Amino acid sequence: MRFSMLPTLLSQMFKKPFTNKFPAKYTPSSTTNFLQAVSKGKAKIIPPVETPYGFRGKIEYNKEKCTGCQLCIKVCPCEAIEFKPEEKKIKIYLSRCCFCSQCNDICPFGCLTMSNEFLLADADKYSKDLIVE
Amino acid sequence: MTDTKVLDANSVVKSFKEEFKTKIKESKIEKRSAGIKKIEYYHIWMKIDRSIFKKSIKHLCGIQFPHLAVVSGNDLGKTIELIYHFSLNHGHKNKVVSLNISVEIPKSNPTIETICDYIPGALVTEREKQEMLGVIVKGIPDSRRLFLPNDFPKNVYPWRRDEKGLDKMIRNLHEVKK
Amino acid sequence: MKTQKTTKATYQVPVGPIHPALKEPVMFEFEIDGERIVDVDVSLGHVHRSVEWASRRRNSVQVLYLAERICGICSYCHPIAFARAVENAVGIEVPDRGEYLRIIHGELERMCSHMLWAGVAAHEVGFDSVLFLTWQMREKLLDLTEYLTGNRITKGITMIGGVRRDITKDMFPKIFETLNFFKDNFEKLRHVFLDDKTFKLRCQGAGILTYEDALKLCAVGPTTRASGVKKDVRVDQPYFAYSDLDIDYITPDALTGEINGDVYDRIIQRLLEVKQSIDIMEQTIDKMPSGEIVAEPKIPKLLSTLKKAEGEGIGLHEAPRGEVIHYVKLEAGSDNPYTWKVRAPTYNNILPWIPMLKGEQIADIPIVAASTDPCMSCTNRVTIVDKEKKYMLNKEQLHRKSVEKTRRMMK
Repeated sequence: MRFSMLPTLLSQMFKKPFTNKFPAKYTPSSTTNFLQAVSKGKAKIIPPVETPYGFRGKIEYNKEKCTGCQLCIKVCPCEAIEFKPEEKKIKIYLSRCCFCSQCNDICPFGCLTMSNEFLLADADKYSKDLIVE
Repeated sequence: MTDTKVLDANSVVKSFKEEFKTKIKESKIEKRSAGIKKIEYYHIWMKIDRSIFKKSIKHLCGIQFPHLAVVSGNDLGKTIELIYHFSLNHGHKNKVVSLNISVEIPKSNPTIETICDYIPGALVTEREKQEMLGVIVKGIPDSRRLFLPNDFPKNVYPWRRDEKGLDKMIRNLHEVKK
Repeated sequence: MKTQKTTKATYQVPVGPIHPALKEPVMFEFEIDGERIVDVDVSLGHVHRSVEWASRRRNSVQVLYLAERICGICSYCHPIAFARAVENAVGIEVPDRGEYLRIIHGELERMCSHMLWAGVAAHEVGFDSVLFLTWQMREKLLDLTEYLTGNRITKGITMIGGVRRDITKDMFPKIFETLNFFKDNFEKLRHVFLDDKTFKLRCQGAGILTYEDALKLCAVGPTTRASGVKKDVRVDQPYFAYSDLDIDYITPDALTGEINGDVYDRIIQRLLEVKQSIDIMEQTIDKMPSGEIVAEPKIPKLLSTLKKAEGEGIGLHEAPRGEVIHYVKLEAGSDNPYTWKVRAPTYNNILPWIPMLKGEQIADIPIVAASTDPCMSCTNRVTIVDKEKKYMLNKEQLHRKSVEKTRRMMK
C-alpha cells in the first residue's frame, strides 16, 4: 500500500514533542541580556534532562587521600594527568580528558570519582575551570 | 549450495604433513572452550617454507574452499613474517576451525606469490602488504597503493622497524618548545 | 553522406572521496555509458589514521580506548576483539558472568546499528519519515546504553578479562521495558519496510550479489548472508556464551522463501537480525549465572602479567557489519604490544561492490552502496568529468537524483 506511514504521521501531530527545550523555549536574541534577566528573576532556565546514576562527567579529585603513586598516569589513554614532583600530587587537564574513568578504577585509595557535571564548554583550553588539581 | 564436509583439525594438519612432509616447519593445535557447557574450538598455527607456499594454498583449496579473513605482517629484524588467517567449515554450527599459515621471507628478497587466482578476495589485503611492509607480490593483478596517498615517499614502509620505517616522519603535536 | 567509423566513448565519473551514500570517504571511479554503469574501480585510504602504529607506544589497557575510537557505530566490537586476542595470546580465562554480560552489550549495539542503518537507507530512497521513525526508536536504545554503561556511544565497558560494570537485579526492569517497546513496535517497522510499494519498486532486483561471488570474494556479515552464504561468527565458533544459547544462521528465506541477493533481501536480513537480537538478550538475562565479572580486578597485577607474557593470538567477533578480526603479538619485557592488526568488516565487503554495481544506473549508487552498510568514517562531493567541461555534483544533488528516480517510478 502506498501510504503506510500516514497513520503514524497524523498521530504525531497530536503528541507532545520529545525534545526538552533546554535552556529556553526560543533562542534569546542576546545571551548576555538573557543571563542578566535570569539573575534578576525575570526569566527561568528550563533544566536539562536528569543524568542516570553512573554517568561519567567531570572528574573530582580528593587531594588528601592521594599519595603520589602515579598509577593513574600509567593507565590514562590520553596523557591528561601530570605529576607535580614537589608536592607529590597530580594535575588533570580536562581539555585532554576523554572521560573513560579508567583512572578511577585503578586508584588504590579511591581519590578519583566522576561527578555528573557535563556543561564544561569554555573558550580557553587551559582556563581554571578545566584544570583539576 | 552444497553442504561441505566437516573437517576435523587433526585431519587438516595430517593431510598437509602427508603432502609436504619436511617443508612444514612447525604446527600447533590450540584448544579453547567457552560458555558454561565448555564446548571446544580449535586454532591451528602452521609455519611453512616459502618454496611450497603456492602449492599449499592450492592443496587447501582442494580440500575445501577457505574463507580468507586477513593477512597480518610482523617485522622480525632480518625477515618479514606474513601470517594468512583462514577459516574452514563454514555453515556448521560450532565446528569452524581457524587455520593460520605463516611464511617467513628474507628482507634481502621480499617476494611472495599471489593467491588471487585461487581466492579473488585476497586482492585488498595483498595490496596493503605491498605498501605497508615493502613485500613484492608476484603476479598481483593490480599493484597500486591502497591506503597510503600517492604522494607518500616511495621507500618508506610504515610497519617496518628498521631504517625504512617511519621514524623520520613523526611530529609530536602536543609537545611545546620550552 | 560520409560514414564515420566512430563508437560511443564511455564517460569516466569519479565518485568520492566524499561519499554519496553514507558517512565515509571512499573513492569510486565509474565508467558509464549513458546512465548505465559499465565498470567500477574503488580506492580507499582517505581517513587512514595510523591506529595500528599508534599502538606501539601505548600499553595494553590504553590500546583498549584507542580501539574504541576506530569507529563510532561499532565502538564496542573493536575493543572486544582486541581483548579476546590478548586473552587468547596469554591464556586468561574470562568468568562465566563476564561472558554473559558481554553478550548483552554486543546485542544492544547490534540493534542500535541496524536501526541507524534502516533510517539512512530510507533516507537514500527518499522516504524521510521512516528516517525519523527509526531514529526515534533508536533513542530508547541509546537511553538504555547510557543507563548501563555511562555514555551513549563510547561505552568504555570492556576490560581484558571481563567487563567493567555489572548489571544488577534492579537494572532489569528498565531493560525489559525497552525490549517490550521494541517487540510491540516491530510489526510497525516491518509493515513500513516490507509492505510498502516504494521500497519494493526501488530495491527489488537492484545490486544483486550472487552466491558464488559472495563466496569467492570472501564477503562477510549481513551482506553475504542475504546472498545465501551461511557465515556468522556467533554460530560458527563458540565464544562468549553463544554456544549455550539457542541461535542459528538467519537467511532471507526464513521470511520470503527465496534468496535473490538484492537490496530488498538485505533489508529483510537486517530486520530479522533485530528480532534475533531481542530474542538473544532475553535468553541471556534468563540464564545469567552469578559470580565475578572480570578475571583480575586489580589492574596493576594485570599489567604486570601482560608485561611478562609472550605469544600471539587472534580475536574474532560478529560486529553489526560482519566479522571483525584482530591479531596481537605480545613480547616479553615490554608493556606495549609488538604488532596489532585490525581488520574491520567493511574491508572484505568492498570488492563485492564491483559485481553489484555493474549494470546499474547512477541514481542507484546511493541505495546499493548504503545497503552493504559501509563503515569507514566521513563523506564528500562527486565530480563528473564531461568531455570538455567539468562540473561538480555535491551530495545534495546526487541525493536529489536518487529521490527523483523514486518519484518517477511511483507514477
